Amino acid sequence: MKKYIPLFLLVFLASATITLAQTDNISPARKQAIDSLALEKVKDLSKYISIIGSKETQFSEANRVMDRAEELFAPDAEMGVSSINRKEIAYYKVRRYFERLMALNYDRVNITWYDIHYISDLERQPDGRYVGVITVYQRFEGTSLESGLNYRDTTKKDITIYVEKKQTQIAGRTIEFWDVMLGDIRVTETSA
Amino acid sequence: MRKLIVLVILFITSIQLAPGQGLYSPGSPQDDGRLAASTKQVNQFFRRFNGEESADGTRRYYDTDELYRNRELRGKFINILFDNETSSIQSALKNEFLNDVLSETLPKYINFHNGEWFAEVETTFIFKGKKEAATLFMKLQPEGLGYEWVVDKVSFKPFENIFRKPKGNEKPFLHPLSHEIGFMNLRKAFQENNKPESYTPKEYEPDYLTVFLYEMKNGNLKFDNISDVKFHFFQINNWYFELNQFNRPGFNTGWLISNLVKLGTGDKEVIQKYIYDQK
Repeated sequence: MKKYIPLFLLVFLASATITLAQTDNISPARKQAIDSLALEKVKDLSKYISIIGSKETQFSEANRVMDRAEELFAPDAEMGVSSINRKEIAYYKVRRYFERLMALNYDRVNITWYDIHYISDLERQPDGRYVGVITVYQRFEGTSLESGLNYRDTTKKDITIYVEKKQTQIAGRTIEFWDVMLGDIRVTETSA
Repeated sequence: MRKLIVLVILFITSIQLAPGQGLYSPGSPQDDGRLAASTKQVNQFFRRFNGEESADGTRRYYDTDELYRNRELRGKFINILFDNETSSIQSALKNEFLNDVLSETLPKYINFHNGEWFAEVETTFIFKGKKEAATLFMKLQPEGLGYEWVVDKVSFKPFENIFRKPKGNEKPFLHPLSHEIGFMNLRKAFQENNKPESYTPKEYEPDYLTVFLYEMKNGNLKFDNISDVKFHFFQINNWYFELNQFNRPGFNTGWLISNLVKLGTGDKEVIQKYIYDQK
């Protein structure tokens, strides 16, 4: 949480120039600041996924990282996974998805992320919160030493983000800031 | 106060991302341009169609930006927004469309909130113990402080035959003097006949969505999965196009126009009727 404070402040500063009447609208400057905060959370998620998937990660460490990763998500977030050969979506709770990733039957696993992303516009939902989607691409490589088999895929991850205005007290003053939580993730195997 | 601001700015500028295995860490695979070219979200389709993002896709343009909705930029984008590999859209038709939407005097844009576009979602449900396909037509509507997607219509084969009225001599009826006998013949109509829809007006149309929801609420219909999603656009005056997702190798991928029709009088209703498949 502490590491996001500078970004929260950045979002707060970006919003400070907006007049009171417009406080519920998101200006391009504020949107950019929110995008940075959201992308920071997605970067953390990508790092956690790489650590959880790695065979060099100790069981206890993987569990600790799973706890950290879960904290990024809104309650009830799900992962919906499909592949090129199987269009049907397999639904997993976030924790279950991480556990399955950790238990994959490879001797070596390497998860890396492409240097490309896309951040959608933010749309307001009926309860007043904003919602957006960030798309990132992951490359997975798994090696089985016994069989010598090497499995590789590239998956597109469309990650829901929820953006909400919150309040906090700093030195007796009420400060408003925008917070970002991750939501459902659609995972699609690509032909790339 | 000034000290606080300086402190905050110093704090922010000192943030550095820790190198690791995450996004943009050393050793990240480089995109050869294919992922950048792909229209990754429907949102990006809107931006590209309207010329609201930079050519390299790294910047979103707003109305204060010089290149916002730039005609030349739009032209390049819209050209790559067509499925050029499997769809057989004639180049003359495509050019006519391009000329229309890129008109110098009256350019046409698409707008997320302006309606006249909807989603077609192919799903499967378990109905009476059997997996059955159901097509949900979803539309965006204002609600509360924002917007929401709602199910507008449903197409579900098992329901379609249930309400199909017999025709001609096969169709039972209540004779025109039934009122004189206090409609006593309703007993025969409803108890000895399993086609009660025969006694409805010509213009009667079953509301499949209501029946669908009723069966779901009664536990007879259970959601199973989703197999496909596509979008239908009627937002550009006199044009219809279909948007599909293409997941394949190459540069022509993502959300692309797979079907384009120039609409004459009455064509819109004919296409909508065909899409809804409810007749």
